[in-house]
Amino acid sequence: MTLREILGAIAAGALVLAALPWLASDFMLSLALTCLMYIGLAVTWAMFSGATNYLSLATSAFFGIGAYVTAWGFGTLPYALVVALGGLAAAAFASLVGAGILHLRGAYFAVLTFGLGELVRHAITYSEKTYAHTVGRVLQDAPESTAVYWTVLLIATAAVAACAAVRASRLGLALAGIGADEERAQTLGVNTRRAKIAGFALAAFFAGALGAAVAVRWTYIEPASVFNPFIGFQTVLIAMIGGAQTLAGPIVSAVVFSLLTELLRLQFPYAYLIVLGFLLIVLVLYLPGGLASLISRWRQARA
Amino acid sequence: MRRTLLKAAVAAALGAASALAGVTPASAQDAPVRIGYAIARTGPWAAGAQITQEPNYIMWAEQVNAAGGLNVKGKKRKVELIGLDDRSEAETMVRSYEKLMASDKVDLILPPWGTGANFAVMPLIQKYGYPMIAPTATGRKLLGMKNPYFFAILQQPDLMMDALGEFLKARNIKTAAMIHVDELFGLEQAAALEKSFKEKGIQIIEKKSYPLGVKDLKPVLNDIKAKNPDAFVALSYPPDTFLVTAQAREIAFNPKAFYASVGTAFPVYRDKMGPAIEGVMGLGTLNPKSSPAAKAYFDAHTARHKKEPDRWASAHAWAALQVMQQAIAKVGLDRKALRDAIAGGEFDTVIGKVRFRNGENIATPGVVSQWQGKEFEVVWPPDRATAPALHPKPAWK
Repeated sequence: MTLREILGAIAAGALVLAALPWLASDFMLSLALTCLMYIGLAVTWAMFSGATNYLSLATSAFFGIGAYVTAWGFGTLPYALVVALGGLAAAAFASLVGAGILHLRGAYFAVLTFGLGELVRHAITYSEKTYAHTVGRVLQDAPESTAVYWTVLLIATAAVAACAAVRASRLGLALAGIGADEERAQTLGVNTRRAKIAGFALAAFFAGALGAAVAVRWTYIEPASVFNPFIGFQTVLIAMIGGAQTLAGPIVSAVVFSLLTELLRLQFPYAYLIVLGFLLIVLVLYLPGGLASLISRWRQARA
Repeated sequence: MRRTLLKAAVAAALGAASALAGVTPASAQDAPVRIGYAIARTGPWAAGAQITQEPNYIMWAEQVNAAGGLNVKGKKRKVELIGLDDRSEAETMVRSYEKLMASDKVDLILPPWGTGANFAVMPLIQKYGYPMIAPTATGRKLLGMKNPYFFAILQQPDLMMDALGEFLKARNIKTAAMIHVDELFGLEQAAALEKSFKEKGIQIIEKKSYPLGVKDLKPVLNDIKAKNPDAFVALSYPPDTFLVTAQAREIAFNPKAFYASVGTAFPVYRDKMGPAIEGVMGLGTLNPKSSPAAKAYFDAHTARHKKEPDRWASAHAWAALQVMQQAIAKVGLDRKALRDAIAGGEFDTVIGKVRFRNGENIATPGVVSQWQGKEFEVVWPPDRATAPALHPKPAWK
């Protein structure tokens, strides 16, 4: 498919999903919201980490920064502006930090990005305690759940479209080149530093915007709950299960994973984690390329 | 090909979705009363939730059903609990309550565990009109939301800290050192403590805070030990309660009064720390000696779950169920009427009389408890005491 066709398909999908509030129950809507949230997080994670092989665990840091922008700004600023600011704050943070740490590779990079979440969490706790004399913030008069849903849908759609555009662009080629062989890409004239920072910041923007958009549902924002490392782990897991080199893989995987987790949680309240863990092991063992590799296997089998 | 795959994915998603929605049974005359809740069974909140809260829900439903059912305005109906795991995540918890209230349309809900989680359900209980009596939520900020459907049955920070201030004043304590966790709980308790101690003429000679998840408090304790305060107060969460106890003992910091907060009332604190905690004080409400009703509650809990309830909020969780039960007997399951009955009534519970004003239980006083032997004795206020206080605290064993 050409980029134009892909973007058309994304827009069509988003239009269909925009009608969900009239069709689905409140619970279905919040389930769809979770799916969309993880679609947005997983595709943008895959856009940077999948292409470059820089395993980033910073998603929860970006998500939490966005959520905290909501905690500070919501009530005085309009919701849409807060969401945009949440994204921008996370992107600014990512470019700043990225400039300092994107020369690290492998486990060092992964551990450092995980540490970012802790760093930001403690920095916010400290400044809130010192200057605001409180640590948690209460959000009153949150927007309707439909407004939150449409906002998250918009961000997720933009995230998928942005990833599709990046894949077809020079930046996407540069990121893929870095993943294949960073020195060679550099020799061939790619400004790897700039490409990495751009990719890292773009992923951060969407994670931050999603954090800012979703946080209004929680009424009470405190560092311990918004800098939840599981959000970061889950994002990585979803992208890898789906196939981090592809665009459709993480999308399908986010939906399947979110629904499956929910189904297991509701149907097998005591055993679902065991089942989930078992499924993950099986997937990693027998489908290392992710769900997306099923398509190519299928093609090969047909050919 | 791509299209068939997409179709298959959509079909699978729709199938899963309809399985999730479940089927709502028509409410027949003798249908059970469906009571839903989400609580942590996994993740960081699970330890507290599984000590203090969910065991009470399960035991209550079993007791009610064994007695023929729940008295709904004179008619007995069985109780069916629908318990979900919130995975210690705000988003999962909100979604679970949306399912229970909006899709499953359960008759009643029970609260989740912890202050943060209770905040997150606040808008939902107001939107769908479900009264909720919370046993593990403290903080003026919660009550400040003025949600007509929210009731806090646990003693709020000012009551607990004022009780401690009175107790220490009566023991002629002049100076105190205080540390607190940097979190809503710690900050609110610390503010309440400072106010109370000022009124009682107890000077706070050292005040320090530490982040959630702290791993070492020895430097802070060494500093405090050097200043030699009469009393030491840690406004702590369970992991830091264990930590501060163990480290104070290690450096032989033994003030006349030693107080730590959440977790001191857990039986596991006694079992893990052993005889070392003789004389340690903390947040409590009652123990089996408090009354025959309390004894019956402790015995039933121990028999059912093979573990004792904690000596603070467990009993509040049980009392919240008793309040709900008594209100349902009077007005039935109409949730608006039920809210009004809870707001306006007075109830006999395991923690004594319970009465709400502006959503706060104003009938239960602040309590100070102290470990003596195997029991967390109530030592303040005098009319609730189950033993005289051990003062000054004996040396660490």
